[in-house]
Amino acid sequence: MALKDVMKDIEGYTRITEEIQTLRKYGSDFTDRKGEVERMMALLHPKTVPLVVSEIVTETESTKTFRLTARGGHLPPFQAGQYINVFLEAGGVRTSRPYSISSSPTQTGYYDITIRSVADGFVSSWFLEEARVGDAFESTSPSGTFTYNPLFHGNDLVFLAGGSGVTPFMSMIREVACKGLDRRIHLVYGSTDVKDIIFEQELAQITQRHPNIQVSHVISSPPKRYRGLKGFITAELMQELLGDLSAKTFYVCGPEVMYGFCRAELEKLGVARRKVRTEVYGPPRDVTSQPGWPGDVKAGDTFSVKIRGGRTIPARAGEPLMVSLERSHIVIPALCRSGECSLCRTKLMSGRVFHPEGVKLRKSDRQFGYIHPCMAYPLSDLEILL
Amino acid sequence: MPVYDAVVIGAGNGGLTAALTLAQAGKKVLLLERHNIPGGCATSFVRGRFEFEVALHQLSGMGSPERPGPLRAMLGEMGVLDKLEFVEMENLYRVVFPGTFDVTLPTNREQLVKELSLRFPKDADGLSRFMDLVYRFSMEMVQGLFFHDPDISREKYPVYFTYAFRNSQDVMDEFMESPFLKAILSVYWGYVGVPPSMLSFGDLAIMLWAYIEFKPYHLKGGSQALSNALLDKYLASGGEARFNCAARKIVVDGGAVKGVITEQGDRVDAGVVISNASTIHTYIDLIDRDAVPASELDAFKSHSIGPSAFTVYMGLDCEPADIGIHETTNFITTTVDADRAFSLWKTMEQQGWALLTCYDVSDPDFSPPGTCQAALVALQYGDPWYAVSPQEYADAKYRYAEGMLKLAERVFPKIRDHIEELEAASPLTHLRYLGHPGGAIYGFDQYAKDSPYFLTNRSAIKGLFFAGSWVGSGGFQPTLTSGRSTARSVLKALRKQ
Repeated sequence: MALKDVMKDIEGYTRITEEIQTLRKYGSDFTDRKGEVERMMALLHPKTVPLVVSEIVTETESTKTFRLTARGGHLPPFQAGQYINVFLEAGGVRTSRPYSISSSPTQTGYYDITIRSVADGFVSSWFLEEARVGDAFESTSPSGTFTYNPLFHGNDLVFLAGGSGVTPFMSMIREVACKGLDRRIHLVYGSTDVKDIIFEQELAQITQRHPNIQVSHVISSPPKRYRGLKGFITAELMQELLGDLSAKTFYVCGPEVMYGFCRAELEKLGVARRKVRTEVYGPPRDVTSQPGWPGDVKAGDTFSVKIRGGRTIPARAGEPLMVSLERSHIVIPALCRSGECSLCRTKLMSGRVFHPEGVKLRKSDRQFGYIHPCMAYPLSDLEILL
Repeated sequence: MPVYDAVVIGAGNGGLTAALTLAQAGKKVLLLERHNIPGGCATSFVRGRFEFEVALHQLSGMGSPERPGPLRAMLGEMGVLDKLEFVEMENLYRVVFPGTFDVTLPTNREQLVKELSLRFPKDADGLSRFMDLVYRFSMEMVQGLFFHDPDISREKYPVYFTYAFRNSQDVMDEFMESPFLKAILSVYWGYVGVPPSMLSFGDLAIMLWAYIEFKPYHLKGGSQALSNALLDKYLASGGEARFNCAARKIVVDGGAVKGVITEQGDRVDAGVVISNASTIHTYIDLIDRDAVPASELDAFKSHSIGPSAFTVYMGLDCEPADIGIHETTNFITTTVDADRAFSLWKTMEQQGWALLTCYDVSDPDFSPPGTCQAALVALQYGDPWYAVSPQEYADAKYRYAEGMLKLAERVFPKIRDHIEELEAASPLTHLRYLGHPGGAIYGFDQYAKDSPYFLTNRSAIKGLFFAGSWVGSGGFQPTLTSGRSTARSVLKALRKQ
């Protein structure tokens, strides 16, 4: 006997079919929910956000802020500390770069990104030299987890910033100031020279008006007779500046070298790992000096990468696979470009790659041969599945 | 000639097993997935040094290698067992009413009855008779339904035919007095999303029986390992998959499926489409309105969109025992009134009900040495979250998570001091990643009228099939099984042509 005949004999069957008939008279056929999921997602997490540069502010000799407003529609909200990945074409290559938003999340009309030119950074140079008011971009919606979490970060925060790593902190500080929150913040901000300090005036004004916000500048190559704090953000310096550390949560954002350094200094001070939040950072300057890099492969070695069912392209060992793909005009999904978010997750069919320490691969992705091309460096000829 | 025999939309549990079953039968299959990763709910994400399991709490139907349950048998037939390592959980679950009552149920039936009889001596006899009923019902259902007894009848299987559609609360009330005992025995209602007063006894009985007989399991690498293994096998079986590639449209002509148009605008011809997306998205968004049979829209009217979940994922810098976590599965509830907790699912109020799962108790390798992770989850409908403005969303999410953490602290007071990573997922998070209206995790509400008895995996549109929770029960075993059985219906239909 078929199931549909059997079930008619189950006690209660008739009652249920009657219930179904009644509901069919009055229920919804869901046609009014057409497009609902997409609309909801467009509010919070659209796939891309169309932006236009509405203003450019020169912050220091080497740093500018680009104010990005929506090209039609609204801007999805963000949490202070989050970043957007901006898609652009520079030097004939379609690529993208993640930038922390430096404006306050209470400013719903724009995202500010603050960019410092870096040696051989061709996207930052493009921004500083080529970008103009009126230029149009697309970006991802705001992402990232370098944000304040009220459930366990407490009310006493220390921000350790290096150089342009101050940008997410600027957003957090502006939010606390704007909303008048009672969070205590001490920004310890390391710059090479006094003239490199970004947001110096605004920070000074905020600290004047908000006693719960403090800023200490630390200058590594100060001018003669500089009377402020000098050198690096060491354990001794923090001990002196911050006093009792037991209830504090530390946030670290800056250049690559700063993370290892600060982590070690905080460890000296006995700060628990759970009390230290670190922002992700992009590809290392020299991947061949990373622990675990095989000695027989040189940065300049070039391998061939076969894309299953498609082309074969060249890829340098010293460059993330994603960059080599972009050089060959193959654009794959990208978000953090730091090995963390897994949006670029790709199946490696054959060959070997190097992932620097800190790349966040899932255990089973490792087992089944997936890589994160934004931080995967070829060590042999490869075949990948896109 | 269509290029593909079938296109499968969505690489969730049901989509994966459907695609794999078809590919292994020699069919040319294309699997489309909107995201960059297979699994749907069956996935994980990494924060700091933790890889968080998203959705799997207790895998049912596994059984041991010596005495395999239906799910282990099915995964074996599909050839993915050798890539996976399953971990049996030591106990069924712990239920804590903070400050009031606390009990842990063993997975062995006799020990379970013994433990509960000691705690509820007045109900000892009723409990033992209730468990007899659970077992008799389940044996009849297995014998009559799963093994397709051709002589199935009310006379031959009286318990099954009497109790399948009765509500669990009424049945429990007939046997036992203590509201605590009944709340403890029916705590799995959270795995269905329907309180005992409306939950079919059949659903409750088969769950209890299956978890006791085949034991609850987890697996190394979490549910993502299962999704990866299924996809890997599918690719090795000649299947093709496109990720970051949603279906934009199902082409229907003359009442039959002709193919699919992808979000990139490619047209893929196929005579069969298996949708692992929600039936709502499939009919309302993917198919032209005039091509959707009125009967299908009409059938929607007896269903309502089911609950989603709110989960707080925590990475802790201590061993589970350091903060008093000794069980993998901990139900925390402040009330025996499930109806009241359920009524709060449509609000932003705390419901005083949550499940805390700590995988590291049964699998010490699950998190890095000296750490563990806890997933604190409560069900909730998407509705109240639709009313939250985007600007208020982050605060609302933290507030709800804070309430849940406070509940967990009533049982594990030191938990907050050890949080190293914490991520909260609301119904809107589930909506984003699953694409389901309301962020529903089990498809439609699962009342008796919405049970597989009254649903079909086959559309009135020729060549269109469904796999997953929207055409059956929710949860891992049901959705994995659903894909396989839909693929078999497809193979049967293709043979007939």
